[in-house]
Parts: sequence; structure tokens; C-alpha cells
Amino acid sequence: MNTATEAAPAPPVDSQPLSESAGGRRFRIAEYAGFVPALVLYGAFFAVPLGIIVAYSFWKVVDYNVVHQWTIDNYRYFFSVATYVRTLWATIWVSVLSTVLTIAVAFPFAYWLVRYVPKRMQRTLLVLVILPFWTSYLLRVYSWLNILGDQGAINRLLQWTHLTDHPVSFFLYDRPAVVLVLVYLYFPFAALTLYASLERFDWDQFKAAMDLGARPLTAMRRILLPQIKPGLTTAVIFVFIPILGEYLAPQLVGGARGVMIGNLIVNFFSGAEYTRGAAASLLIAVLIIVLLVIFRRSLEIKDPYASGR
Amino acid sequence: MSVYERRVTRAGLLKAGAAGAVGLTFARPAFGGLTQLEATTLNWLTWSDHYANDQLAAVAKKIGIRGRPTLFSDNADAYLKIKRTGSQFDIVSGDALWVPKYHKDGLTESFDLSSLPVSKQLFSIARSFPFWKDGSNYMGYPFSWSTVQIYYNPKYVTTVPDSWHALLDKKYAGKISLENIPTDVMAIAGRATGAKKPYSMTSGEISRAKAFLKSFKPNVLKLASQNNEVVRALADGSAWIGITNLGTDDRVKDAGGPVVKPAYPKEGTVGFIDSEQIVKASKNKAVFEKFINTTEQAPWIAKNFLTNGRPLFNEKAWKLLVNQGHGDRAKRLLYNQPQKALQMTIKGPAGDEQAYVDAFNEVFGA
Amino acid sequence: MPRDAEIVSRRAGLVRFALGGWAVLIYVFLFAPIVLLVAFAFNANKYGTFPFTGWTTKWFGQVFGDYQIKDAFFTTVTIAAEVTAISTLVGTAAAFPLVRSRLPFRTGIRIGMTLPIMIPGLLIGVSLLVLLTTVFKWELSPQTAVIGQAVYTTPFVLLLVAARLQGFDPALERAASDLGANTARRLRHVVLPLIMPAVFAGALFAFTLSLDEFIITNFLIGARNTLPIYIYTQVKFGITPEVNALASLLLAASVTLIAAAFLLPPAIRRVRRLRPSALRARS
Repeated sequence: MNTATEAAPAPPVDSQPLSESAGGRRFRIAEYAGFVPALVLYGAFFAVPLGIIVAYSFWKVVDYNVVHQWTIDNYRYFFSVATYVRTLWATIWVSVLSTVLTIAVAFPFAYWLVRYVPKRMQRTLLVLVILPFWTSYLLRVYSWLNILGDQGAINRLLQWTHLTDHPVSFFLYDRPAVVLVLVYLYFPFAALTLYASLERFDWDQFKAAMDLGARPLTAMRRILLPQIKPGLTTAVIFVFIPILGEYLAPQLVGGARGVMIGNLIVNFFSGAEYTRGAAASLLIAVLIIVLLVIFRRSLEIKDPYASGR
Repeated sequence: MSVYERRVTRAGLLKAGAAGAVGLTFARPAFGGLTQLEATTLNWLTWSDHYANDQLAAVAKKIGIRGRPTLFSDNADAYLKIKRTGSQFDIVSGDALWVPKYHKDGLTESFDLSSLPVSKQLFSIARSFPFWKDGSNYMGYPFSWSTVQIYYNPKYVTTVPDSWHALLDKKYAGKISLENIPTDVMAIAGRATGAKKPYSMTSGEISRAKAFLKSFKPNVLKLASQNNEVVRALADGSAWIGITNLGTDDRVKDAGGPVVKPAYPKEGTVGFIDSEQIVKASKNKAVFEKFINTTEQAPWIAKNFLTNGRPLFNEKAWKLLVNQGHGDRAKRLLYNQPQKALQMTIKGPAGDEQAYVDAFNEVFGA
Repeated sequence: MPRDAEIVSRRAGLVRFALGGWAVLIYVFLFAPIVLLVAFAFNANKYGTFPFTGWTTKWFGQVFGDYQIKDAFFTTVTIAAEVTAISTLVGTAAAFPLVRSRLPFRTGIRIGMTLPIMIPGLLIGVSLLVLLTTVFKWELSPQTAVIGQAVYTTPFVLLLVAARLQGFDPALERAASDLGANTARRLRHVVLPLIMPAVFAGALFAFTLSLDEFIITNFLIGARNTLPIYIYTQVKFGITPEVNALASLLLAASVTLIAAAFLLPPAIRRVRRLRPSALRARS
């Protein structure tokens, strides 16, 4: 909904670069000058280190030192240990589950915010959603220990209402706790993205559909969802991919059973098992890159200042 | 235009804020207190029960040397960290047979123990552990010791667990907490499966230990990174059994938790003797002695005992504790019998460290 | 017809009520840990857990007297300032060619731009650790942490500025050019002032991200502490509510800053408008 692109027939990239009118070939190179600092930063401190990790995943560690011997042993080792493979699968399905739940929780909220809340209150309510972000991530996760733990708020409530007579340990130190905390942590991402998308939707179409006899659910399915699909996809991407690499939340509330692949990677690297850690890292990194390529259209830059509607 | 006006004014405020932050960076040298901080800070790689925040504050006030602790749980991790980070750390705490390893690999420096006045407060036996001697020097300043045994909550654990195998009982599923120290957990598993030397197991013994851990895993609630976490798990009831140091029963009670009792598995267990070592590459070696001299004084050690419950090597602190009326408790926890420390299977690096860590990881994942 | 409208409005009312209730639950869900966190800062129980044994403010006093916290605070703010400076400069500079030049492999570049955000911070930390200690053989320090954080925060600045730049009306620049401005003057007097909001939004965002950054920093900072690292240590230590007090103070500070950023400018303008000089300028 970029008015600039709608108003001018020119494509998003200025078809008549101003520099051309000002001086010709020379300025072409200068145009790209803005990239130089970024290239230095990312060349030296992002691409190269990752390249080293890729290389490491194919080398060996002998006596705490990395030896430049090419081998796929690290990968073979990783897949030969049942625990590691299970952890990899668990990571993927925990991420899927967390993402689905996050979107399921965030969508009705975003819908409510756009449809039923007066415009001027919307911003305040959104700020309230982001406000928890202003507390330390670690402490927010840590607070859940006090809610989920055996002596925590939930158990106390259950016992106080006599629904149980002794603490229920289900809530903590296992995968459900990890999923819950992840949903809690990533809810704002999903809510904001879905809000932005729903906000751009033309609700008159909705009304028109209903006037034409469609029931609300049908209208939603056939009019709303297809149009917010890009926003939905973006929300999924921005929740699912980071969760794949999570290791702090599982470490703090996951206990012995809530281990995710991030924990494994940290463990390998702390123990100087660089090559194995590199192999595990690469598995996740490749998965992430594949997903980014598949969903590349969700990464389009959209002007948040454009008055879409 | 008002929209832009508003944005610019808000931006103006942000500009001021940013300028302030950048100004802080360059004004840093002007903060006299801070340069002092950087000049006399000792980076201390240690366990959480080796210090107390008020102790560090008092020491800093007294002699102007600030200790900055970084925590770790496994000796193997600390060893690797020191190996990798050169002069980042000044002091590193280490257990028993790890100390000679640090020294042999050139990571730490030995010093003349008797040149530290506070060392006279130590039990004499602590000043002459043969494996810490380096000629007339000593490789570390002795701090504390303990066996690692089972503590259980008798309310839920009705039969006394007098064997490591008792912990495999399915009714303890998800109810056991222990520290995340792969080498030592493997050693305990080795003890449980009859390995002759838990810290130098043969590959057959390692596999047996690993199999034991595999059956043990479903009963593990949490692999804690410091023993406070084990105490907390026992205190709030989420764990019924803890594998941890002496004095846990007192600590659990202190944390408002239930009564827990110790149990000594018949297969035997491991134990630690720890010390503070000077990192060889440290740039602040000159102040090590001053720092230790102030930090390891008897009153602090006595307080440390009351907080953490396991015995320490400071004999003067023992006398203080008796005078303060805690003699019984200290006696119960073997404070005045440091010679017992030598009777334990003391912790150390494994013969094949990699195999130990691999076996552990392959069971627990991470 | 009227009956249909009745049914629809009843159902609509039900939906509205249900959704409103859901939103309330959401806010409870979001704020419960925060409220608990702040509440425990006043709990006399030194273990920072239930039960509530009494009200006290002594933990707040402890925060101000603790030199470890002061040290961590200064390190955190210094690093944040440096990271903000770097990412704002690098990100803003890179936004221009990204939006305005003909680029080959647009998609590849787009993916490459978001990669540092999408790749787990863990990988950034670990790979940089390997590079800096093994290959470059540098000592870890707050500056190495700055590098790691800058890699992570720059794409945010880049995306914000690029988005604004994309929506920038080229007619404004063409007008300036017609009036004789060269590239540099156009940039300085036309483009930059108008994209400043996005640049500052990006800078603020980078600053915020840096303040709470833990994972990358933990790998790269060596023996120093930032507030998140200090908090992590204390969380593991888990003894006193001093950490809760610290977190409450940080929360209060952030809320005040944001409130000031939003409420102060209109207030200032209102005051300015009342001044005689402004009145004279108006007429």
C-alpha cells in the first residue's frame, strides 16, 4: 500500500537516478559507496566467521586443537547419537508448536485491536504489549519459575482452591514449560506483525461480503485470510526461525527434558568440541537459510510511514 | 508540516539522549572512580559458594581491590576457559587433582604459602597436601572440601537410598537434582557400576557408567549449574533427592524448605578439595596475595560455613564458630576433621576427558 | 430482515465480548511475570520466592551500594552507545544504495540483510569467538562484544531507514536538484532531515537491543560484566531479591524514558507557543 509507488508510474527503484542528471559514470560508483562500511563489518565479522564454522564442521579436533583434516565425521557422529537426533527433532516440533500457538494467541488479539478498539487507544494498547520487552529477557523467563514452580503461583492457586492437594510438577522443567515461555516471549512479534497487516486490510470488503449474504466466518476465510497471508507469513517467519535457535529459555525452564539444539551447540563449544558444535550449528543454519529462501517474498521492505489506507 | 515538526522535536530529544550516551563513552576517563576500578579489579573464575557479595564489598572498601567473579560449574569448563582466554582472569578456583593439571599445563603459578599471613589460620594438614606441593611452593590457597552424597526428603522417599542404584527407582521420575558436572557425574556412575578408578575408567567401564546414566536420566529433574539451584529445588519440593555437598540439609532448612537427610551410598562416592589459584598470564599477580589475605580471613570463612554448610580449611574460623555456639553443627559436618578429606576419592580430570564428556553428552544431550 | 439483524448483532456482540475477554487474558498473561518480578523486589523473603514474608525497600538500597552493579551498568551503557553509533552509521549508509541503486541479486541481498537477525545469536557469538580468539588472536573485551552486537543490530537500522527511504518522494529531491543543489547538498538539506525520524528510530532500536543483549555478549566480553550478564549470574545464584530490585529500577527507567519521549515534545511545543516571540512569529 505504498502511495509513492501507486502515484508514480515508476518502479520502486528510481528509474532515473538523480546522479545521472548530475554527472554520469563517475557517480555510479559513488552510489555504491554507502555499502562499504557494511561490507567491511559483515565481510570480516559475519561472513568470514560463518565460513570458518562451515570449515570447522568438516575438520577434526585433536587434543583441544582444531586439525585441518577434511572429514564428514562430525555429521556422522551427530546422527549416530540417538539423543542428539531426538533433540534436533524435538527442537523442530517445539518450534512448530510454539509458532502455531503464538499465532493462534496473537491473531484474535490483533483482530480485536483493529476492529473493536478506537484508533487513538490502539497505539497505547500496542505500547502496553511491548512494555514487558523493557524488562530484562532473563528476568521475564526467570519470573515464570515463580509462577510455574512447585511453590509457584499456579500450584498455590490450585491448592488454595482445593483442585489438587499437592504440588503438580507438570508445569516446570519440561517441554510444556519451554513452549509456554516461548509463546510468552514471541507473542509481541506476532501481535505487532499481525496488527500491521490487519490494519491495512480494507474492512469495507468484509462488510460488502456480509451484505452479499456471506456469514462472518466465510467472509473471513475467503476475503480476510488470503489478503493478510503475507503478514501471516511474515509473522510465522519472525517467530519460527528465532525459536529454532533458542537456548536460554530451555536452559532456564526446560530442565533435563526440555533440551533444544541450541543447548547442545553451547555445550559443544564450551567443551572445546568446536568441530561438533560447528556441525550442529550448520544443520540449524542451513535449515534457516532454506526457510528464508522459500519465504523470501516476506522479506520485502515495506515503508511503515506510508499511509496505506 | 506539524507532523514533521513533531517528529523533529521528538528526534531532538532522542538526539540529546544519544549525545549523552556518546558523551559518557568519552567522559569515562573523567570518572576517576572508574579508572580506579579498572586498575585494581581481579577477575575471579569461581563457584558461587566461594564468596559473598557483602564480603567482596567489604574487601574492596578495605584494600581497594575489587573481586569480579565469573561463575562456572565444571572444572573442565574452567580449565578450557583459562586455556583460551589468556590474561582475562586473575584467579581461578579448582578442585583437588585439577590443580596439578592446571600447573603442569602452565596455566597457573605456584606461590609461597607461608608468605601469606592468613595461611597461618589454616589447618596444618591443608598446608601440606602432597599433590599441591611444588617444591617449597604451593599451587593453590586451600578453601573448602566436601563429599558428594545423596540428600533425600524422607516425606516422599520412604526407604533410605543407601545405594546409587536405589536412585534408579521409577517412582523418583523427575525428582532428582544434581550439578551439571559431566566428569564427576560420570565418576559417580563409575562408582555405581564398580569401576576401580572412577577418574580413569577403561572404555568398558565408561560404557557401563553410560548405561547406568541412561537409566538414571528419566529421574533427573534438572542439571543445576550451581549447588544453590539444587538447594532451591529441594527447598521448594520440586526435587525429592539431591546429589550434592555436605550441609545441604541446613541450607534447605534455611531456605524455608523441608527436612532432608543425608544418605551415603555403599558403593562409595567422590569428593572435592578446592583452592584458589593464580593464573599465570594474569596481569595482577602482585595483588593476589593481598586480596586472598583479606578475603580468606576467619570471620568471612565462618560466615561462609554458616551459609553454605560444607567444611572449610580455616582452623581459626572453626574456633570462631565454636565460640558463636555453632560448634555442634560444625562438628556434625566434620569441620574439625580435615584429614577425612584425604580419605575421599577426590575429584580430578579424567584420564580420557573427551570420552567422559562424550558419554555424558550422549545421555543428557546438553 | 430485522430478525436477521438482531441475530447478527447478538452474535456480533458475543464475539466482541469474547475477543475483549481474550485481550484481557492476554494482558494478564503478559504482565503477570512483570508484576511478580516487581512485587518480589519488595519481599522481605531473601530467597525471592513465595511466601511473602514482609514488605521492605532494603533491596533497592543494596542495588545502589553494589559496586558490581555499578560496574556492569557503566559497561552496558558504554557498549550500547558504541554499538548504536556503529550500527546507525553503517545501517544508514547502506540503506541508500540498497534502495536507490540498481542491484544484481536483489533477493540474495535481501536475504543476506535479514540473515544476521535470523541466524541465532548463539551462532554469531560462537563464530565470532572462534574468529577473534583463534584466528586474530585478540583478547576478549567489551570492544569485541561491541562488534558482535553491531553485527546483530545493524540490519534493524538498515531496514527501518531503507523502508523510509523507499517511501521517500523523489519529487522533493528533483525539486532541490532543479534549484541547483548537488548530491551532497541534496543529501544534507533534503534527504537526511526527512529520514531523520527513521534514523533515530533505528538508533533507539539498536540502543534498546544492545542494552538487553545477553547471548552474543556473553561469548565475546571475556571477564567483564554487562547488566544482562550480571543478572544471569544472579539468576543462577538465585539468592536475594536484589536482582528483582535492579530489574524494577531498569523497568521504571525505561518507562520514564519512553513516556518522556512521547509526552515531552508536545508539552514543550505548547509552552513555546505561549511565548510572545512565537505569537509574534505567527501573526
